[in-house]
Amino acid sequence: MTPLTSKVCVVGDFAVGKTSVVERFVTNHFSEEYLSTVGVKIDTKEIDFPTLGMTHKLVIWDVAGTEEFGAREMAYLRGASGYIYVADGTRAATLKAIERLHKQILEAYGAAPGVLLVNKRDLEPDWEVSDERFDAIATRFGNAYRTSAKTGDDVDQAITRLAELIIDNDMRGG
Amino acid sequence: MDLPPKVVSYLQDEFLEEARPFCFLIDGDYRLVDSWGQSDWCGLSGIRPAVDMREPAPFLVGMPISAVQKFEFIEMPGRAIVTMHVIPDNGQCYVVLLDARREHASIQSKQQSVNELRLMHGRQHKLIARQRDLISELVEAKSELDHHRREAERISANKSRFIAMMSHEFRTPLASIINYAELAGESGTSSNEIQKSIETISRSAMHLTSLVEAVLDDASLDAGQVELLEHDFEIVGLLNDMAAMMAPMAAEKGLSFAAYADPDVPKTVYADEVRLRQILINLLGNAVKFTVEGGVKLTATYNDGRLVVTVSDTGPGISIEDQERVFQAFERGRGRAETGAGLGLTITLRLVELMRGEVSLDSMPGEGCTVSVHIPVMAAEEGSTSSVPVLPLPGEETIAAMPLSVLICDDDEDMVTLVEHYLHRSGYGLITSSDSSEAIAKTLKFDPDLVLMDCNVPGVGGVVAARVLREQGYSKPIVALTASKLSDEQKSAFTRFFRKPASMQKLLTEIKRLTH
Ligand SMILES: Nc1nc2c(ncn2[C@@H]2O[C@H](COP(=O)(O)OP(=O)(O)OP(=O)(O)O)[C@@H](O)[C@H]2O)c(=O)[nH]1
Ligand SMILES: [Mg+2]
Repeated sequence: MTPLTSKVCVVGDFAVGKTSVVERFVTNHFSEEYLSTVGVKIDTKEIDFPTLGMTHKLVIWDVAGTEEFGAREMAYLRGASGYIYVADGTRAATLKAIERLHKQILEAYGAAPGVLLVNKRDLEPDWEVSDERFDAIATRFGNAYRTSAKTGDDVDQAITRLAELIIDNDMRGG
Repeated sequence: MDLPPKVVSYLQDEFLEEARPFCFLIDGDYRLVDSWGQSDWCGLSGIRPAVDMREPAPFLVGMPISAVQKFEFIEMPGRAIVTMHVIPDNGQCYVVLLDARREHASIQSKQQSVNELRLMHGRQHKLIARQRDLISELVEAKSELDHHRREAERISANKSRFIAMMSHEFRTPLASIINYAELAGESGTSSNEIQKSIETISRSAMHLTSLVEAVLDDASLDAGQVELLEHDFEIVGLLNDMAAMMAPMAAEKGLSFAAYADPDVPKTVYADEVRLRQILINLLGNAVKFTVEGGVKLTATYNDGRLVVTVSDTGPGISIEDQERVFQAFERGRGRAETGAGLGLTITLRLVELMRGEVSLDSMPGEGCTVSVHIPVMAAEEGSTSSVPVLPLPGEETIAAMPLSVLICDDDEDMVTLVEHYLHRSGYGLITSSDSSEAIAKTLKFDPDLVLMDCNVPGVGGVVAARVLREQGYSKPIVALTASKLSDEQKSAFTRFFRKPASMQKLLTEIKRLTH
């Protein structure tokens, strides 16, 4: 049986931790050093779903951070089955960026499964996102997590959830 | 015009060397049909025809191959960085990968610095905001401290003002007591005058007692816990008292004094008499004190539910600045313990405010001073109760039914004389003693119908004496009359307990009840 393979795109403002989240998910590593992504970085990872008797292979497109997509980024997103939205909990403005990006995606490619990661949860004293704000945006995205690429908190859970949502979506779509 | 072939060929070589193009052709199922160029740099060497190219080149997953597309800067899992061109051709599709490492690196370093700068800016903003918060917190904390300091200063100023105020208030009735006592003691004073002196003295003493109560009230004045003690009283009586108190003081200084009540003034009003008395004593006391020549006048009028009492004098008057100072000091609830004209006014303002009234002041330096106090009062119905006489005359209820004897034990001679006086008038036989041990002996010997015992007396003391008497079988009432405070346990030695200064009326009534 060929495993299900899906393209997912990681989007969000610059330096929110997109590359770090993917690295944590794929290799279980974390680096404090910031190396800004130019263009897009491809990674793959297989997730086993023993209960479903299947493996889901994700081809992850870690897109360069931006608060608004240009033509180059829009091209990257074509054909994606799901989206990982990442914001930085210590910079409230990055949540605004998420809303804008989400809207652009919706307009260009229609609705698709997505999860929201409000990242850098380990930086508690610097946190700028109130519980109310988080709850409000979580309701809109349906699936939202406070994650930390540094400690690994909820990173696997969030991405695995997206893999499930895509399976769901595929099955429903036929 | 085309470029010369030589140049085209040069550029071609240059480009091919730089971009190292690798091209492959796939069918509609992404299966490899053919390939050209170098593939090692992009990690695609060793691919065989018919293989699903999405396996070695996962970025093809999900990519539609029906339109010309260009993807810049794709970093592949093997770290190669490519720019990918997708060129569909008859159901098949050419995919061209160009090495974009160099351009990528130059963009990356620029983007890196831009992003780091933006992050730094953000952090700075946050720091500045936090500093601003800290500063405003500090400012707030400081203003709170300032407030506390000012409050402490205000309280301390209030305290000294209060003390000054009280000594001032106490002095006037005390002066009256001293003056009248002297008058009464002088030889050649008629018995009528003596009677009047005593009445004035006792009224002043009553006023002093009220003042003591007012002191307690005043302590809670800032806390707003003061209540008015309103009752019916006769205005004319109050004015007469004032005249009796002030006229001699005025006369002593060679001043005239006149008190006058308008016919419209109700006979009896419902108001706080003690406070009104305080107000008048303050105003009149000041007027007499500061007037050197001429006189002081007190008038009362009634207008629209408001009693207006006016005190005018021919004294030095108060300058506009001093007037402002007085009113301001009052409004701010602070101010030094001013000496002179201001003090009595400040007190008056406080009291009048308490009575929901107003004060108006009309004065010019050198032209005397007129202070009017407007206080809302209710005119009481005709015939309602008026004030109780200070010195009780023996009434029906205080005259002993049959000859009874009382033993008084007190080392204060004046007290003994006073009690003796009243008890005598009420028909009691008296046995006196100034020593508690002696009192025990006398009690056991004469078996009086009641023992009136001071507690702080020579000998074994009142409390012990009472206990001894009980042990010795004396079973009639023992009443304590003392200035000291007694514990409940000590009180239990007595039938009843009176605290000095006690109302003679009450004491007599109780003695009569107990000996009945
Ligand atoms: N403390 C902490 N730092 C994190 C976390 N995630 C990322 N970082 C740090 O944040 C910085 C940016 O992380 P990246 O993962 O490079 O961010 P990015 O979103 O990929 O940035 P761009 O590629 O420029 O869009 C790096 O210094 C990371 O070490 C986290 O969960 N906690
Ligand atoms: Mg990145």
